[in-house]
Amino acid sequence: MTNMLEIKGLSVGYARKGLALDDVSLSVPKGGIVALLGANGAGKTTLIRAVTGLLDLHHGQVTHGQVALDGHAILGLPSHRLVRMGMGQVPEGRLIFKQLSVEDNLKVGAAIVPRGQVRERLEAVYTLFPRLLERRTQSAGWLSGGEQQMLALGRALVGNPRLLLVDELSLGLAPLIVRAIYQQLRVVGDTLGTSMLIVEQNAKLALEFASSAYILNSGRMVLSGSAAEVAASDAIKASYLGTKREQPEGDPGPDAQASQHAQESV
Amino acid sequence: MTKHSSVSLKPAQPVSWQRWVWVALAVVLLCYLPIVLTDRAIFGVRLSNMQLLNIGMSQVNLMLIAMLGALSLNYLTGCAGLISIGHAAFYATGAMTAAITGTQWGWPFPLVLAAAGLAGALVGTLAGLPSLRVRGLYFVLSTLAVHYVVVYVFLEYQFKFFDVVGVPYNAASIGPIALNTPIRWYFFLLPLVALVYWGLSNTLKSREGRVMMAMRDHELATTSVGVDVRILRLKAFAFSSSIAAMAGALYAYFMSNATSEAFGINFAIQFIAMIIIGGMGSLGGALVGAALWLLLPSIISGFATQAGDATGIVRLLLVEHKAQLVQMIFGVLIIVLLIFAPGGIAGIGHKLRHRWSVGKDAS
Repeated sequence: MTNMLEIKGLSVGYARKGLALDDVSLSVPKGGIVALLGANGAGKTTLIRAVTGLLDLHHGQVTHGQVALDGHAILGLPSHRLVRMGMGQVPEGRLIFKQLSVEDNLKVGAAIVPRGQVRERLEAVYTLFPRLLERRTQSAGWLSGGEQQMLALGRALVGNPRLLLVDELSLGLAPLIVRAIYQQLRVVGDTLGTSMLIVEQNAKLALEFASSAYILNSGRMVLSGSAAEVAASDAIKASYLGTKREQPEGDPGPDAQASQHAQESV
Repeated sequence: MTKHSSVSLKPAQPVSWQRWVWVALAVVLLCYLPIVLTDRAIFGVRLSNMQLLNIGMSQVNLMLIAMLGALSLNYLTGCAGLISIGHAAFYATGAMTAAITGTQWGWPFPLVLAAAGLAGALVGTLAGLPSLRVRGLYFVLSTLAVHYVVVYVFLEYQFKFFDVVGVPYNAASIGPIALNTPIRWYFFLLPLVALVYWGLSNTLKSREGRVMMAMRDHELATTSVGVDVRILRLKAFAFSSSIAAMAGALYAYFMSNATSEAFGINFAIQFIAMIIIGGMGSLGGALVGAALWLLLPSIISGFATQAGDATGIVRLLLVEHKAQLVQMIFGVLIIVLLIFAPGGIAGIGHKLRHRWSVGKDAS
């Protein structure tokens, strides 16, 4: 079985700045949820740009390697084509359309959906994020940060992607809200079989949620494995995850309660 | 998960009969307006020039033509987010196409209009090409370049085939009906403006229009939902300039003469002023802005004739520096609106309506 996303030996350089990614490989299995972790400047965003076809915009260039979406080579294809091939993108910083209403935001996301199915897709997103239904006619600029992130996710999910790329979902959001949103994303993965690549700085959260994880450091893939393995790796914890202030793993009790709470209070 | 499968997604605003009453009333008023303005009387009661604010039919017709330009520019700038100072160029394109097809080849007026629209779309697409590579200020500059190129071509054309006086145009007629009186022009232009307004506002409500407004907010995010923004920008440009070129042809026919100087940079900037005053991104605002821009000068002139024997500052402003007064009013208006109401007059109206409806709900 081919993987949904297959990155092989990818090297990316920016003009006059050397390599940002050096021989990086990564794969997202069908229906799998993969976390891509790493500190600031590790190359996470560069990797996402390379995959989504936005490198040109930032004057970057792929020097080596291949990227395949469900077995089709996609390097060099323009971004909007990739979306139509089933790659949903949730850009960093959410980038919702603040002047449009919540519903219009979702409808813009549905621009690639056949007209007959738009309503059905909107309902699916509203079911996932009831909060968006309440705010349907408000302009998106009035939403809270968490709601905006839901909207950005909804906008990508409306297009019914096979692979969802989520860049820095937790940026500027309270951990409880982030956790609640991740839970809804898991629902999407479970019900629709959507594969996901999650780029995240908050390693602890991402590792709870993902099935496997990769860690980038200075443009190289330094560790990969199942989420549990990565989480258990002491060296990695010490250098990237900042274990010192973390509580011991494995007590889902307070977490579950917390996210329950978050869902109500988002 | 939570059960919300029975979510009802249908209309936010039912079409009410009241709305149709308002529309009917507006149509009646607009149809009666030219009679008031030509007879200078309402139901036989004579009105003074002052009471009519010194407005005549020609101003109203010019206003209607300017409304087409303002609508198309607001569609491009306010809704698609592409700033253009090349709108005079599209007017000139239309006027030149009308000169070639109408004056030189003798095509009938409706065909000339269609040709102007096509030529406008073509030139607009070409003018929009730099938008594929450059953004923001650089793109604005490229539209400025287009402006000078087109006006230069018009100038060369004018001097090769005509002379300094300008290009003469045939009398316009639609089939057997000659547009030879201001009232006939009015009843031709009014439905046209209404049609363009209706068409544009429907476009904005369509899938394409929504995506276009999304592009204005965030280009990258629009790409990330699978839309090719380059095509979208070219389409917006072609559509807008096509309307502007038709307005240019109408302008030329209405004035029955056009020179290259008529389409100077001031001509282009006036449309930008109109949409700032009226409200960026609001089609209704474009109408209001165009109306103010075209009617205020004659209103001021009206005051000037009244203030013949006034003294002091009134005389200084109204009589001796009338043109400057008009410019000052527009200048101050634009600055004040930009600072206090960036949404223009449409934005103010929107706010008031919102406040009113909130008050109504509370009581």
